[in-house]
Amino acid sequence: MYSILFSDAEKTYIWDGVELNLRNDGRKRNDYRPMELETDVVTHASGSARLRLANTDILVGVKAEIDVPYPEAPNVGKIEFFVDCSANATPAFEGRGGEDLANEISSALLKAYDVLPLNNLCIVPGFSCWKLYVDILILECGGNLYDSVSLAVKSALYNTRIPNVKGTYIDGTNVDLQLSDDLFECWKLDVSKAPCFVTLCKIGEYLVVDPTVEEEACSTASIVVSVGENGSITGIFKIGEGSFHQNAICDAIKLAGTIGNELNKTLKLALEKEENLGIRRERYGFLK
Amino acid sequence: MDQSICINLAVERVNTSVPTREQPCKLFTPGEIIFLQSDFMRGHGTYPEDDVLKASVAGVVEQIGKLISVKPLKNRYNGEVGDVVVGRIIEVTQKRWKVDTNSRLDSILLLSSVNLPGGELRRRSVEDEQMMRKYLIEGDLVSAEVQSIFADGSLSLHTRSFTYGKLSQGILVKVYPALVKRSKTHFHNLPCGASIILGKNGFIWISPTVSDANSSGGFTQNLDQKVLKGDREVIARLRNCILALAASKIPLYSTSILYAYEESEKYQLAELLNPESMLDIAILTQQKIQMMEDF
Amino acid sequence: MPVDSFRVTAPFNTTDYRVYSKKQNELPKTVQKERHDGRQSNEHRPIVMKIGILSQAKGSAYVEYQNTKVICSVFDPREIPNKSEYSVNGGLYCEFKFASFSTQKRRGFIRDAEEREYSVHLRRALEPAVIRHQFSNFQVDIYVLVLENDGSCLAAAISCANLALANACVPMHDLVTAVSLGLFGEHEIIDPTYSEERSCLSKPYVNQAEQGQGIITVSYMKIFQQITEIVHCGIMHSSSINHYIEKLIAENEKIYNLCRQCLVGNILVHLREKKETEAA
Repeated sequence: MYSILFSDAEKTYIWDGVELNLRNDGRKRNDYRPMELETDVVTHASGSARLRLANTDILVGVKAEIDVPYPEAPNVGKIEFFVDCSANATPAFEGRGGEDLANEISSALLKAYDVLPLNNLCIVPGFSCWKLYVDILILECGGNLYDSVSLAVKSALYNTRIPNVKGTYIDGTNVDLQLSDDLFECWKLDVSKAPCFVTLCKIGEYLVVDPTVEEEACSTASIVVSVGENGSITGIFKIGEGSFHQNAICDAIKLAGTIGNELNKTLKLALEKEENLGIRRERYGFLK
Repeated sequence: MDQSICINLAVERVNTSVPTREQPCKLFTPGEIIFLQSDFMRGHGTYPEDDVLKASVAGVVEQIGKLISVKPLKNRYNGEVGDVVVGRIIEVTQKRWKVDTNSRLDSILLLSSVNLPGGELRRRSVEDEQMMRKYLIEGDLVSAEVQSIFADGSLSLHTRSFTYGKLSQGILVKVYPALVKRSKTHFHNLPCGASIILGKNGFIWISPTVSDANSSGGFTQNLDQKVLKGDREVIARLRNCILALAASKIPLYSTSILYAYEESEKYQLAELLNPESMLDIAILTQQKIQMMEDF
Repeated sequence: MPVDSFRVTAPFNTTDYRVYSKKQNELPKTVQKERHDGRQSNEHRPIVMKIGILSQAKGSAYVEYQNTKVICSVFDPREIPNKSEYSVNGGLYCEFKFASFSTQKRRGFIRDAEEREYSVHLRRALEPAVIRHQFSNFQVDIYVLVLENDGSCLAAAISCANLALANACVPMHDLVTAVSLGLFGEHEIIDPTYSEERSCLSKPYVNQAEQGQGIITVSYMKIFQQITEIVHCGIMHSSSINHYIEKLIAENEKIYNLCRQCLVGNILVHLREKKETEAA
């Protein structure tokens, strides 16, 4: 990924701090840094969200377009994830530098979102369905990329409004799509099953959530667990070059389940709170 | 399960600026005419064109006698001889270390301008050159003083005093260089129980206080000694206070940091990461500073 | 034809004819206790392992789980291309590729998203085992080609690559083996075949988290007792993970013994040949 220079003494300081359950910024091992969320920030997208977690800055836009369903799955819609590690984040992403990371994140998202039912996205079975393009823009990297990307994606999907389209058969076989005259007549996706990632970073013998860039540099391996509704696990993979002991991995996954459940609940509350402010609420976007 | 997750909304975002009594000064943008007359001396951040002086950076004008310069609001560190800086070694080359000091060009720490073990006036031998990686390697942090400035603007550092040298365990905080206020000393043993080095280059080093007997100003790192939890709490609190002040653009010096530390005592450590409490501390500190000035 | 490398390439316009068969779509949506090939639920398919099958590569291996056939070659370390900085640890470059005829649907020549993802998992699984600081600034290239995919191809690829690395005499801490476990409700099947994999991943998931559905692949170093990579897709409950991992580790230990036998056998053959040539 991206690397930073670091002295042994600083590393030791972080290691010992994690052991004492007091991290450099005063957090405990299971604490997240405060995040800031805003949805509906991009006008041309069907749904969008921006999430800032300390220095990590993620912008997600969802666009819904009409496509033909796969022949093997004629009555479900499609969803696809594209991650763009822009060179704005770090010069290391310049050119094709961020490509590997981008591929990793998008394939992880695709797998984790297997649990999201897409039946609603079908318009006419076998003929047309909605395809959701989820474009993720990484504007700044400040550690804990996976968690923040997944939270931003979930918020953007929550914010997505899909217009009402009716398919009618004309002369038996051909399908005619009719868009409702009122463009504001939309429906919303149900994201209660959508997962979010919890990254557990192994520092020394302990696991921490929401690692900073410095903490990531101190760790040899992290495990990313995607947690869906009610703390169910919908995907696991390892990042980093180290390995885990059997017990450590079981503990990590259980811990991730509880934390992820909490994370999903908190996100839901925040999203509902924002929605209750109405459409006329002030938009901040990039103005500070 | 004890964990804290907090998701704020952008609508609730706090404005980090704190009210000041100072009049906002005139800001210049690149290309803007500063003076029409020609009897001036051209300083940094300006350029002459058709007998008028124009700004080349966005910032405030500074006038010393006839010298006009524009000081940019946000820039990398412009070194001055005698400044205390904190830097990170990024490369070991022949007879010198390259140091990142947040200035435009990498700074240089010559092998001849460090104190080597075994007396100051020892000649640097070939063995010393081969031993350079033993003293400092890539990633290490050093405190140093700017010795001179090369023609191309890069800085030459030295650590020829027991106060300077390799830094051991602690936390590095990076802020804008302009926020660090120049003062008599940049090394402080704060009464709250931690030491702090306010590098003029915006790198601030917070570490547990060590008794003077051990400080050899040399190149030892104590990796076995574990910093106690109490010390860590103080260090983490200082770190969060400094970041709170920096977010609200309040100058950093020992007094302002101590005030902020006192004000922060009412919050839990992790609460100091919330923007609201950061702003609260900044405002209270600002008020306290103003009160002391009036007094 | 220029390809937009930043995007996942769109599926080819041709489709597999089997998609249109009624029977195919009614593929077993569940997993029965009796597996279609007559195995027990915790029975691995018979394994064939061979090393040193390619003469050009420094090390090579071939692994066969009945209809899953994987071949892997490892080449001499070479300097890391396009890298200016000194890296203390040597690198592993893994390329995982499906032969274009290896699956029901034809695969393209350009590596698709799935192949790139498997390449990453492969690298992550092998990295902890290789003593990488012994070849600083160099990288070892590992190419895995799936000749035929009948399920558990990632697990087969990891075990195969590990044999090839050992065959190439790349310094390693330990041997890495991998096993897949398919979950479907109360059924837990070791080493699922392709159709079992498809049943386990068929959407929408009929089983909820309490019972679990999906596939877990775990790669393991026996002597160090370390899990080097875990990949899970599907849905499950966190409390059952202990059980799954124990099961996978037990199976991994069996494969470890096979790997050892294979390597030792190869050395013995070499020694015998050497003796014979000396005698002659």
